[in-house]
Amino acid sequence: MLIGLDVGGTYTDAVLLEGREIIKKVKTPTDYEKLLNSLLAALDPLLEEAKGRAIERIVLSTTLITNLIATRRIEPVALVLIPGPGLNPDTFDYQVPLTISLSGAIDYRGREIEPLNEQELKECMEKIKDSGVRRIAVVGKFSQRNNKHEQKVATYLQEHIPDLEVIMGHQVTGRLNYPRRVYTTLLTLATQRRFREFYSEVQELLHRRGIKAPLYILKADGGTLPLEQSAAKPVETIFSGPAASTMGVLALTPRKQTSVVIDIGGTTTDLALILTGTPLLASKGARIDDQLTHVRAFATKSVAVGGDSCLRVRNGSLEILPYREGPAYCLGGPQPTPTDAMRVAGLTDIGDKDKAIDAMKILGKDLGLSVNRTAELTLKMMVRRITAEINSMFLAWEQEPAYRIWELRQKRKVRPQNLVGIGAASPALIPLLSKEMDCRPVIPQHAEVANAIGAALARVNLRLTFHFDTERNFYFIEENGVQERIPEPLHSLQDAEKFALGRLKEEGKKLGIITDDEPEIIYSELFNMVRGWRTTGRLIDVCVQFPTGVLVEWEEGGN
Amino acid sequence: MSRKTGLVFFPAFDWAITPTHPEREERLLYTRDQLFEEGVMDLPEIVEYKPRNADYKDIARVHFCVPDISAQITEAHLIAAGGTLVLADAFMNKEIDNGFALVRPPGHHSMRVVHGNRGFCNIHNEAIMIEYLRKNYGLQKIAIVDTDVHHGDGTQDIYYHDPDVLFISFHQDGRTLYPGSGFCNELGGPTAYGTTINIPLLPNTTDEGIHYVLDQLVLPLLEEFQPDIIINSAGQDNHYTDPLANMRFTARGYARLNEKLKPDLAVLEGGYAIESALPYVNMGIILAMAGIDYSWVREPDYRPENFRETPEHMAYLKGLVEHLQDAWHNREEMAAAGFPWDEEFFESSRMIYYDTDNIREQQQEKIRLCKRCPGYQVIRSRGLYPSGRIRTIQAIVLHRRACPSCQEEARELYRERIADPEGLDIIYLQDKPQDRYHQFTVSGESELQY
Repeated sequence: MLIGLDVGGTYTDAVLLEGREIIKKVKTPTDYEKLLNSLLAALDPLLEEAKGRAIERIVLSTTLITNLIATRRIEPVALVLIPGPGLNPDTFDYQVPLTISLSGAIDYRGREIEPLNEQELKECMEKIKDSGVRRIAVVGKFSQRNNKHEQKVATYLQEHIPDLEVIMGHQVTGRLNYPRRVYTTLLTLATQRRFREFYSEVQELLHRRGIKAPLYILKADGGTLPLEQSAAKPVETIFSGPAASTMGVLALTPRKQTSVVIDIGGTTTDLALILTGTPLLASKGARIDDQLTHVRAFATKSVAVGGDSCLRVRNGSLEILPYREGPAYCLGGPQPTPTDAMRVAGLTDIGDKDKAIDAMKILGKDLGLSVNRTAELTLKMMVRRITAEINSMFLAWEQEPAYRIWELRQKRKVRPQNLVGIGAASPALIPLLSKEMDCRPVIPQHAEVANAIGAALARVNLRLTFHFDTERNFYFIEENGVQERIPEPLHSLQDAEKFALGRLKEEGKKLGIITDDEPEIIYSELFNMVRGWRTTGRLIDVCVQFPTGVLVEWEEGGN
Repeated sequence: MSRKTGLVFFPAFDWAITPTHPEREERLLYTRDQLFEEGVMDLPEIVEYKPRNADYKDIARVHFCVPDISAQITEAHLIAAGGTLVLADAFMNKEIDNGFALVRPPGHHSMRVVHGNRGFCNIHNEAIMIEYLRKNYGLQKIAIVDTDVHHGDGTQDIYYHDPDVLFISFHQDGRTLYPGSGFCNELGGPTAYGTTINIPLLPNTTDEGIHYVLDQLVLPLLEEFQPDIIINSAGQDNHYTDPLANMRFTARGYARLNEKLKPDLAVLEGGYAIESALPYVNMGIILAMAGIDYSWVREPDYRPENFRETPEHMAYLKGLVEHLQDAWHNREEMAAAGFPWDEEFFESSRMIYYDTDNIREQQQEKIRLCKRCPGYQVIRSRGLYPSGRIRTIQAIVLHRRACPSCQEEARELYRERIADPEGLDIIYLQDKPQDRYHQFTVSGESELQY
């Protein structure tokens, strides 16, 4: 049996699953101050239902990291940067208490083109000592291709400042994009302590309940990792809420189809795309506090319109405002809202019908429209706003840059087959939206706990991206900071692929990931290095992973 | 609104001429690494665009492809050309203030008639973009500045008879480098005399020398010409590490050049120091175009003192600039005196060699000397292929501003030739006033129209 727990902003969902069967589902309000209590309130009824039968794993998705960052309750981190030539290092402001830039440079092949300066290093160490900051992120441009400078700086600082916590950029991510690496690295260090604290409490709690099942954490890319692995990079668990709902929809809708996931809430409507069965990832990584990061996350969009959005008439035209002033008028709120319009149009039976009519009357008077026409206009505006955003998401995806002929050839115009609604206002609005977009409306069964289902069923995702440079006899792995000599000769792309697949399996075993799935090759590419008309080496990129997605699907889909 | 620079980055990681050719998959790999690692695409001043395929008609506006367009191109060519069109649209729609198409394969050695690949080029990306801009947005006067180390002989060929296009190329002296042309006396055909300016530079010319030419000659000429748009054929092989040439230009020199030149649209051409130059030069150009500080961009071995000019070079450059300034200012008198204006046609002939594909082409050109308009040209071209095969074509180029009688003459000439092909294999008419492009294949008696 599997357990999925999603501690969301408003509600905490939990499900107990056996195969495709939902044994028990729970929804309770989330108490921000006491997240553990919310968790228990959702978990205990499931455990009771399980009656001591074996639980294989528990997957947790929480807003913990999102909240820590949003409320700036993260630890102060100072930056030691080795930017090298290129952009002026002052171009980016990472908003940290202290930033020190050192000279020294590594180039795109990982060759040292300028050494570190010992004197600067000493001054840097003294500055840090004086500043009182004891968490340091050391990040160099192209450090993923040669971590020598990062290592040297980190070792030196740790030797001279005993209680210093140091993280290095290459440990966090080996993907290209230095500014994103700097920001991701500092967020990683800034959130590690609280993440560990929270999860040791969770583990303690599970232990007291006698649960031996491993705890997994859902990440922003809809995959899960065992707790220990997540603890090294907590920032990857940001935005796990939208990831959970998308994975839930993936489980609850027909396979290999193209769907829009629409979560219509109180003041926002959150959108995500599933393209032929694969959730779309944000091409530039998650944006946190308006800074881009290397965190793989689903491409989501939040539209400032929901069931409780405030409606008003200005200069003779109707406006949907991006905030709420309370519940809907028909539920005793102060202002007319789209929920009132839905009530009048007979799309829901939430709230008091007469009050809803009154709400539409208030607006209708200034618009010169009848009650029914006012409700129609409101819904039409809402539908237009949301469909415009959906269309722009598809357009943005189509216009994402491509660097290879085959990539361009592959990107055709794609339109959704299904609009899948979750969230309170979905049953009322999804049919209208689907009509406008000429899609199939889907309100899946158990949609109200889609997030918990998504968490429960999300597969482990372990991906390794290898870069081999046979001329330098060196390779590195983007995801885990490994930088080593190539242990066996690679004569072809196939050799490299075989090596990568082998390493992935080993890594999986090391992390305790048990799966019957064969790993797959996401891409592999070979460049001949030619110097003076002669091939002097090869650059080979290979990306491998265990299959992602959900463990089981409800093939027949929703209703 | 803040300043925006559009980028199309299409490194064509799956296209090469041959596996060890300088124009191969690896060429923009390190540039990609540098640009992506720097986070250039994330900067608020940069907008990245996805390229699209150019249409055959876009190509037919510029070229006579033998035996037809599909034989001369691959999908990569369509995408590289199409990438420039995406930027052209974005520029004209005011989404961006300027744009740089980092695309390959390159194009500036492609001429009007295309029998094959020469100088790594099949079709001419900038010319395709320019004709697209003229057709779709009504631009008239164009300035092209070619900063590639090789003479932009394709661009020169395409615009040699177009007085509305000012083509300026500075390059390593043709006596010492491919393609062996681009001398001071190549100033344009009779109807467009003086709107082609070639600046042959001595080997080892440095930042200082190139900026002298820019400041003293190129910028004043542009100021006087008042183009609707400035295009940079942005080759990067003047760099001091380029393996195929012998100049001493730096990444910072290229950046400063773009800062001064302020091209509206730039298109990547050559540059084969793929490790030691391209990552830095491209970075410098992009930053300069976007108005971002580029003073931190430098090659690992860059020392400013290595790029000073010698007195001998400066003396040569001074004489060269004066000579070309004179030619520019006296261009009308020289055109009036230098061509037989009482005759209907002026004729010339030449040989063209296709280095990549080892094709020899013999060309005769008849230029209609019309006193009212830029007229038309009739090209007769014989391609001698390495297989021994020969193809002979005739192509008529009708200027977009041709007067009604020249238009009639040119179309009549095309019809006459179809009726009596005189041993020709293919007959073409580039009817720019009507934006119609005809190709008649004699053996199949079939006409293609774009």
